[in-house]
This record gives sequence, C-alpha cells and structure tokens, in this order.
Amino acid sequence: MKSDLRTFKNAAWLGWQMEANWTDPFLFATYSIVKPLAGTLILVFMYLVIIETSGSGMEMADSPYFTYMFIGNAFYMYAAEVLFGVTWVIHDDREHYMTLKQVYIAPINFYAYVLGRAAIKIAITTVGVLITLVFGVLALGVGIDLGSVDWPFFIISLIVGLACICILGLALGGISFLTAKHGEGINEGIAGVFYVLSGVVFPITALPTWAQSVSKVLPVTYWMEALRRGLSPDAMDQLKASYPYDVTGLGGFDNVFLMLVLVVSSVIFFVLSLGIFRYADLIARRKGKIDWTSAY
Amino acid sequence: MSDTWLMRNLRAVNGRAYPRIIGSKREPSWLFFDIVLPLLTVAAYAYIYKFNNAQEQFIGYVVLGGAMTAFWLNILWSMASQLYWEKEIGNLQLYLMAPISRMSILAGMAVGGLFFTTLRATSTLVIGIVVFSVAFTLSNPLMILVIFVVTMIALYGMGMMFASLYLLFGREAYHMSNLMMEPVYFASGFYFPVKYLGFWAAAGASAIPITLGLDALRQLFFAAGSGDAFLPVETEAAILCVLSVVFVFLAKYSLDYMERLGKTSGRLTLRWQ
Amino acid sequence: MFNPKKKKEGKSVTALDSVDLRIEQGELFGLLGPNGAGKTTLLKILSTLLLPTSGKAYVAGFDVAKDFQEVRKRINMVSGGEVSGYGLLTVRENLWMFTQFYGIKSRVANERIDSLLEKFGMADKKNEKVRTLSTGMRQKMNVIRGFVTDPDILFLDEPTLGLDVNASRIIREYIVDWVKNGKNKTVLLTTHYMAEADQLCGRIAIIDNGKILVCDAPQKIKKLVKTSTTLSLDVSLMMDKSRIRAIRGVDKFTSFDDAEKDVTHLRFVLEGDAPVSDILSELTRSGSKIISLQKTEPTLEDVFIKMVGKGFE
Repeated sequence: MKSDLRTFKNAAWLGWQMEANWTDPFLFATYSIVKPLAGTLILVFMYLVIIETSGSGMEMADSPYFTYMFIGNAFYMYAAEVLFGVTWVIHDDREHYMTLKQVYIAPINFYAYVLGRAAIKIAITTVGVLITLVFGVLALGVGIDLGSVDWPFFIISLIVGLACICILGLALGGISFLTAKHGEGINEGIAGVFYVLSGVVFPITALPTWAQSVSKVLPVTYWMEALRRGLSPDAMDQLKASYPYDVTGLGGFDNVFLMLVLVVSSVIFFVLSLGIFRYADLIARRKGKIDWTSAY
Repeated sequence: MSDTWLMRNLRAVNGRAYPRIIGSKREPSWLFFDIVLPLLTVAAYAYIYKFNNAQEQFIGYVVLGGAMTAFWLNILWSMASQLYWEKEIGNLQLYLMAPISRMSILAGMAVGGLFFTTLRATSTLVIGIVVFSVAFTLSNPLMILVIFVVTMIALYGMGMMFASLYLLFGREAYHMSNLMMEPVYFASGFYFPVKYLGFWAAAGASAIPITLGLDALRQLFFAAGSGDAFLPVETEAAILCVLSVVFVFLAKYSLDYMERLGKTSGRLTLRWQ
Repeated sequence: MFNPKKKKEGKSVTALDSVDLRIEQGELFGLLGPNGAGKTTLLKILSTLLLPTSGKAYVAGFDVAKDFQEVRKRINMVSGGEVSGYGLLTVRENLWMFTQFYGIKSRVANERIDSLLEKFGMADKKNEKVRTLSTGMRQKMNVIRGFVTDPDILFLDEPTLGLDVNASRIIREYIVDWVKNGKNKTVLLTTHYMAEADQLCGRIAIIDNGKILVCDAPQKIKKLVKTSTTLSLDVSLMMDKSRIRAIRGVDKFTSFDDAEKDVTHLRFVLEGDAPVSDILSELTRSGSKIISLQKTEPTLEDVFIKMVGKGFE
C-alpha cells in the first residue's frame, strides 16, 4: 500500500511536470482559463442566437435550460479531459517519450502510476470547471445559489462520477496499446458519445427512443443529472415545471434512487473497464505493442 | 543534383505525402475515428438547436461547420504541430538538412492528409444531411468551388505559418495548437453565424480564413443563409483571395525567420523542450 | 575558424572555441573527443542545422550560414542511434522517401537502395516494416540513408554505435571503399572507437571542451606521446642472451627464464621497428623457437588520455 501511494505521488508529480513545465506560470494560467471558457462560449452564443432568432424576448439568465446546459457543459470537462488524460498517459509515454516500457517493467503498481498521472489532470480540470462556473454565475446569470446547493449529494456524486471516469479512461488507455497514433481519437470518441447521449447539453428526451435506451445505461447520464440536482436544485425544478412532460427523462428518480443507480452503473463500468484493460494489456504484450511506435 | 528546384520540391511533396497515404492504408482504424466520431459533436449541437426549436437552417450550419472542422484539425494537428512530432522523433533535422523548401515538407503532409480529411468532411456532411434531414442547395456550384479553394489555400498558408513556431518552440507551440481549437470554433462561427458576435468581433475573426469561408458557404448552401451573413459572398471571396496571398507569403517568411532563430539559438533540433 | 557560444537556459556555454580546421576533398577525416567535447555541435554547424556565434564555416566552398541551400545539395549526415523515418513504412519505402528530398528519380533511387541493401546484408529486410527491426538493423538502415543520396560530403556521427562486430566491419569497409573509389568523396567521421579512427582515417583531430588539441595523421599523433615500440616474445628456454643485447636499436631489454615451462620471456623497448627483424633473425640463428610475439605501439588511446587529461602542450 505504501509503495502504491509512493508510485501515485511520484506519478502525480510527473503528471504536473508534463502539464505545466513547458511555460511560465502566467501563460499556463492563461491557457488553463481560456481553453475551458472558449468551449463554453460556443454554447452560450448558440443559445443567444436561438433566443434572438426566436423573437421570444427571453433573457438567457431567466432560462432554466441555460443553467441546465451550462452546468452540464462545465462538468463535462471532467469527462473529456480526464478520459483524454488517462489515455494520453499511455499513448504519450509510448509514442513520444518512449518511456512506457521502462515504467511498465518497473516493480510498481501500473494502475497507481496511471491514476497518479490522471490525478493531476483532475486537479487542473477542477480549476477550469470552477472558473467556468464562476464566470457563468457572475457574468451570465447562471442559476447557481450557494445557499441552495445540496452539498452532500453534490460532493458524493462528484466523487463517484470522477472515479468512474478515471477507470473508463484506463480501459481506453488499454485499447490505445493496440492502436496506432490516431488512437487519440478513441478517447475523443467516447467522450463524444457521452456528450451526445448523456444529457450533457440537452435532455436525453431530445434523442430518438433507441438512443435514450443507450443513455439510460451510461453512468455519466446519472452523473450529470445528480450534479445538476445537487448544484442547482431550484433551476432543475423550474425546468421540470416548464415542460408538460418529463423533459430530463429521469424525473421519476428521486435523489436516493438516482444515487443508487449512479453507484451501481459505475460499479458495472468499473468491472468492465478493468477487464478491458487487462485483456488489452495481454494482447499488447503478445503482439509486442508495449514499446512500438506508429507515427506517420 | 540533376533536378530543377521545382521538380526537387515536387518530389519532396510526393515523398512526404507517401507515409501519410500508406499509413492510412496500413492502420485503417482511422476510418472509424475520423468518420463516425466527428459526427458526435455535430449531433450534440444539432440536438441543442432542435430541442430549442431553432430555425431549421441552424442545424444545417452545424453540419457544415462540423464538416469543416476536419480541415481545421488537419491543419492544426496533421501539419502545424506535426513538425513538433518530427522533431521529437528525430526526423526534423533530416528534413532541414535536405535541399528543399520547408513548405514542400508541410505541403506533403497536407496533401497526404487531404485524402482522409476530405473523406471525413464529406462523410460528416452526407451523414449529417441524412440523419438530420438538412436541405442543402447547390445554386452556384462554381462559386462554392472558388470559395472552398481560396479558403483552403489561405488556411493552409496560415497553418504553415503556425508550423514555423515549432522550429523554435516545443511544447509551448503544441499547447498553443491545443488552445486554438475551441477559441477558433467559437470566433470563426463554426456552429453559429459569426455575425452574432457583433461586427468588430466578426471582423477580427475574419483574419482566420475559415471564418469568411464558412460564412460564404452558408450563404451558398442555404436559402436562408444570406439572412445570417456577415458580408456578401463576393466581398468575402475577394478578402479570401487577399488572405491566401498574404498567408502564403507570411508562411515563407516566418518559416525562414523561425528556422534562422532556431539555428542561432540551437533549438532547431532540441528535443523535449 | 569558429568561436560559437551557445546559450543554455540562461547560462552561456562555449561549445566550440576557436576551432580551426581544414578538411581536404577526398579525405576520410576523423574527429575524436570525449562526451560533450563539441563534436556533434561542429557537425550540426557544418550540416547547416546550427549557426556559429562567430567565425565562418565553409562546406564545399559554400558558407554554411549564407549559402546553406548549396551546402545541403552536397551533404548528408548519419548519427548513431538516430531514429529516422516512420515505423509504419518498410525499409525500402523509408529510404525511398528520403531520396525524394534530394530530387533523385525513383528509378535511380530504387536501384541504389537495392544495391546498398545488398552490400549491407539487408536485402532480405527490404520489405520489413521499420518498427520490426532490431536497433542494429535500424542503424544500418540509417547508414544506408546517408549513402543513398550519393553526397559529395558525408558527416558520420558515431555511425557504428549499437552495431555488432560484423556489421561494424561491413560499414567501415564500405566507408573506406566509398572514399577511395568515389569521385572526390569526403567523409568527416566522429567516433569513440579509437581503433576505428586509427584504421579508417587519414587524419584525425582530437577535440576537448570545444578546442582542437591536435590534428594530424594517426601515426604522427601517436609519436607525440611515445616514439618507442615495445616487443614482447616468449621463446624456448634460452640461456645465452648476450648477442640479443648487442643488437643495434635495442634501447632496453629484460628477460625472465621460466625453467618449469621451458620458456624465456623477452621484452624489448625499441626505437622504431627496424631492430625487430634483427632480433628475430638472431633468435632463429641461435636455434630458439618463437612461441609467441607481441608488438605494442603507442595507441590513440594513449594519446587521447594523455592529451585530454593534459590540455594544450
């Protein structure tokens, strides 16, 4: 256990060096702020265009859907960055720095190493998420009232969801053992699947019925819903009230049941992901792909 | 050397394009990643418009924007930042020692990647049209072709200019490329008409060729496009022509300048910066 | 003459200091020096990858700073341990790709590639993907890459690094043949292997801390350190050694009789090689049987250690 913690700590230190030592702190801070905000602004302006061309006269800040979309997009950064980050550890170490084989054969817990590297990604992404949320609340009137936040529910859902994302990233990292350099697309792709199917920026009821069935299998769907209910319960109640039907598709779940479903689905994905990683690792070792390079 | 300067550089383009083309044949997993997965972002934004009962043409704009991201990403990652990877692998110094223009190497990368870029863009367009029942019009195919070609020349010229940064910098330039994805999607109006950013913001964003290229294509592909236009198509075409010339010259100048800086400071072939 | 300085993270490092060298057309010139001496820096300047801070460098008569395009038409460089090309391509494809950057027609390029692969014993690997090659094979491919463009001047930066004895021998033989039989072909070779430099190079420069310590033919360099030759012989037991001692040119002479093994160990310190034949003749005349013979001359290693440790004389 002690040695795993040491591996985790050293990997986290390495992850920090990889993420941050390429430039001075000011430029790094700028980078860490601009990137998440720019992604958010695309959605903000899309919604502005919708309002302007609809002629409804509605203000963005008055729309519970805007809060729904904003919160989902902010926390989706975890899904995108952490999935990418975990997969990238394996890909980058193998293709770029060619150090994967040295790490792999070292007498350390490889999972601890990967998760240590991922931990830094989570920390940096957290800054991005916070900046986005603060910007949203202060500049755009996003409906988050700190007094109304259901903190225990929010924090537990955040932790469970992050753990699930990390393990899923590990599975994708395992798959990237077997693919060429454009295996970067794997994590973008899976993150994209969540973006479309997990109610990140629009409710799953906007999707065709068959797609909604898939949505209900994904833990990120419940994670998004739980985060919103925890962070902005009032806005979510307003959203439900604005539509004559169950707009989110999860209206029938109370918070306890929602948390239960989140935990169970996360556990299932945890087991699946670990299985995928182990299998991919075995195939990679058989085919000699632990230390191959595939750039072209 | 028996070849003329032109032939030598054309051979260089061919030589560098070859690994790209062969690579796509030998590692076919890109087919899935580059065709199916880009559709996901398109789908997400399309559903945002759909859920909010936006005007029909906006879904078409998203499909078009999604298709054009293929070219922007090709420039950022398969051309500009590719020099970073070449430096890290150790090929860059071999290219720089060869008696060819750096633009030939970059052009080779671009040409080699053009096949799957075009395939990605086309498949996004076609599948997007089918899935979301988007109505595209082809009222002026010649102008569409002209706009597309000048946009690509200007865009690839800009990409070569970015690539020059990698001759001097390492990871900073790589992270700058990373930084330029979402801000460019936002400022260039990939997923919404750029005029809604306001005149001056849109004018500033027009320095990126794809801004005007997309705006013009929207007007040409969609009947309602002119209502969401920033500038008339002809004006945008003229500006794009100017931008193509400007960026190609800037690319040559910046590649020479950055190479010289890199040689003076000893960073031209320095790995793991 | 150079005097370049290289700034490295705020600290100024003098990588080359007043280097003054002239390498003639048709030479196989060696550059010896410890790690960090400035060998690779010099090669990078000459191959137009780095600009000198001051001074001038000319390759084939062209200024490396101003006329770099002309220089590039005439050179190529191979570094030891480099990873060139793409793992996804075959050996042949990788080599062909690099020829295209030098404007070589595909037909000519492929002929040269096939010929070189044959000469280097890699004909059976030509359709193998580069990523499946061993380190040694990869390095052979890199060396071929240097020759395939048929440059006038070839820079070889530790080309036999990582290669087995046989592969190294093939490459060295090819380098020598290439310079000897080629039309005005010039090679600048850096190496750590003293024997390689000694064997291959017409002239050698020893560099340390950016300075050239000496530049001359290997034999002359060795004489700077030691002019004498040591000759060690084991002969059948020999009681009377007076006639041996009297041979002209024998500077020092020691012997040891091992009665148990019936062997006499003889050791001579000679001025030059001339007395060797006299000694052997005398031994034969006296009826002694020569069991073993070893001649030790001053080596480049002696020179290297002495000069690098000593600095300028």
